Amino acid sequence: MENVKKYMVRNLNSVCEDDTLDSAIRYMHKYEMTILPVVDSENRFLGTIYSRNILKNILPEEYGYLESHRLLYDVNQAAENLKEIKGKRVKDYMSTNTIAVRETDTMDNIADVMLNNKESYLYVINEADKLRGYITRADLLYYLLEVGKEK
Amino acid sequence: MITTVTLNPAIDREYFVTNHVPKNHQYIYEEKDIKVYPGGKGLISAIDFKNLGYPDVQNMGFAGGRQGFFFERMVQEYEVTTNYIHTENEIRNNVFIIAKEPVTYTHFNDYTYQVDPQDVEEFVKRFRRGIVDSDFILIAGSIPAGIDFNIYQRLVKICNELGKEVYLQASGKALNLALPEKPKVIVPYFKHTRKILNEKVVEFEDYIRAGRRLLEEGAQYVILPFHCDRLLFTKEEVYSLSPVDFCLKNWLGAGDAYNAAFLDYVFQKGFDFIEANKYAGAAALSVAERKAIFITDRSQIVNNLDRIIIKELEV
Repeated sequence: MENVKKYMVRNLNSVCEDDTLDSAIRYMHKYEMTILPVVDSENRFLGTIYSRNILKNILPEEYGYLESHRLLYDVNQAAENLKEIKGKRVKDYMSTNTIAVRETDTMDNIADVMLNNKESYLYVINEADKLRGYITRADLLYYLLEVGKEK
Repeated sequence: MITTVTLNPAIDREYFVTNHVPKNHQYIYEEKDIKVYPGGKGLISAIDFKNLGYPDVQNMGFAGGRQGFFFERMVQEYEVTTNYIHTENEIRNNVFIIAKEPVTYTHFNDYTYQVDPQDVEEFVKRFRRGIVDSDFILIAGSIPAGIDFNIYQRLVKICNELGKEVYLQASGKALNLALPEKPKVIVPYFKHTRKILNEKVVEFEDYIRAGRRLLEEGAQYVILPFHCDRLLFTKEEVYSLSPVDFCLKNWLGAGDAYNAAFLDYVFQKGFDFIEANKYAGAAALSVAERKAIFITDRSQIVNNLDRIIIKELEV
């Protein structure tokens, strides 16, 4: 049985709880990631910061259902809202109930986890809960392709 | 986790042609005649560590621009964990043109990469949390424009604060400024300037003086490249390290193999400066006498151990 180690992406891009939202957004933009793992000062995985969660906090509730003539007003409002919260800490906006998987987990286990929740990325940790990378739905599909080839 | 640091990495592109004639438009049709790989001191050593069987190896540094993502993926192909700060400016691209008839070797070394101060601070922060699981940190290579020369001093200081040892291969002012932080092992490189600690290094006596000065300035041990040999300096003694019946095929990767193997010895058997150098010399030999740039396994090193001679010098 193949394990996560074989298919994961070994990458330690991350933010800390004490980083500001401003810097987290800049990292997301630079790394081309819409989510980032949050770690402590020893790289221990604590949770995830989602761009979606930040957006939810700055967009007017009705955003997306508005008539086009109100869109500009609401974009400006969102920018204003972001200006107000961008200095706040990641820890106030991160999600701590994110599932992480271990390097030694089997790929079948990953399939289970991915099918049973909405995560498209799963962060990979070692036995000491230290961040080691991530694995995506695409990696899972690639694994399944390989399994299919063998059969 | 093994940590190597490469602040100024590059994408290396080798083009193999029959002859290299200026103003001549050439076509390359075969894949084997173009090699593209991630380059930079420290990074090559990280790949060597992986090939030696270490499960967790990370390379820290900067990855620049759109090509930085390509670079990062290439590094991950070797199963090395990437821990890079991505920057606006594009990573360096080094171009090597290698011709057969006549044999010529043309090298365009790209030094255009620049890093913003904000990215440097982010790197320093990332470095502190990135090295917590490493005991000996390998820091090697040049620094990009935009980074202060005290960067290695800052990194060694953090290592000291966290109780980590440092193996530093550096040159010029960045090296000079790092010395007061007392890095454990220093390997200066100075081919491009012929200077160590701002003084010319030409004659054998210059090398001896330079090695001793590096110790006086703070290094605990010094490994000084001396043509095909190395001069090894401890606080008390000076040694020469020489290969026997050496047949050079390729310099690329030999120094990185030396650095990786030195630490491989230390990780396996503890810090014995002389024996670790012997093992490192054998590893460098295994790369320099082949076309490949990486160590592929330990047996290559062990087979060359008898060909490395270390003698104490009376100087």
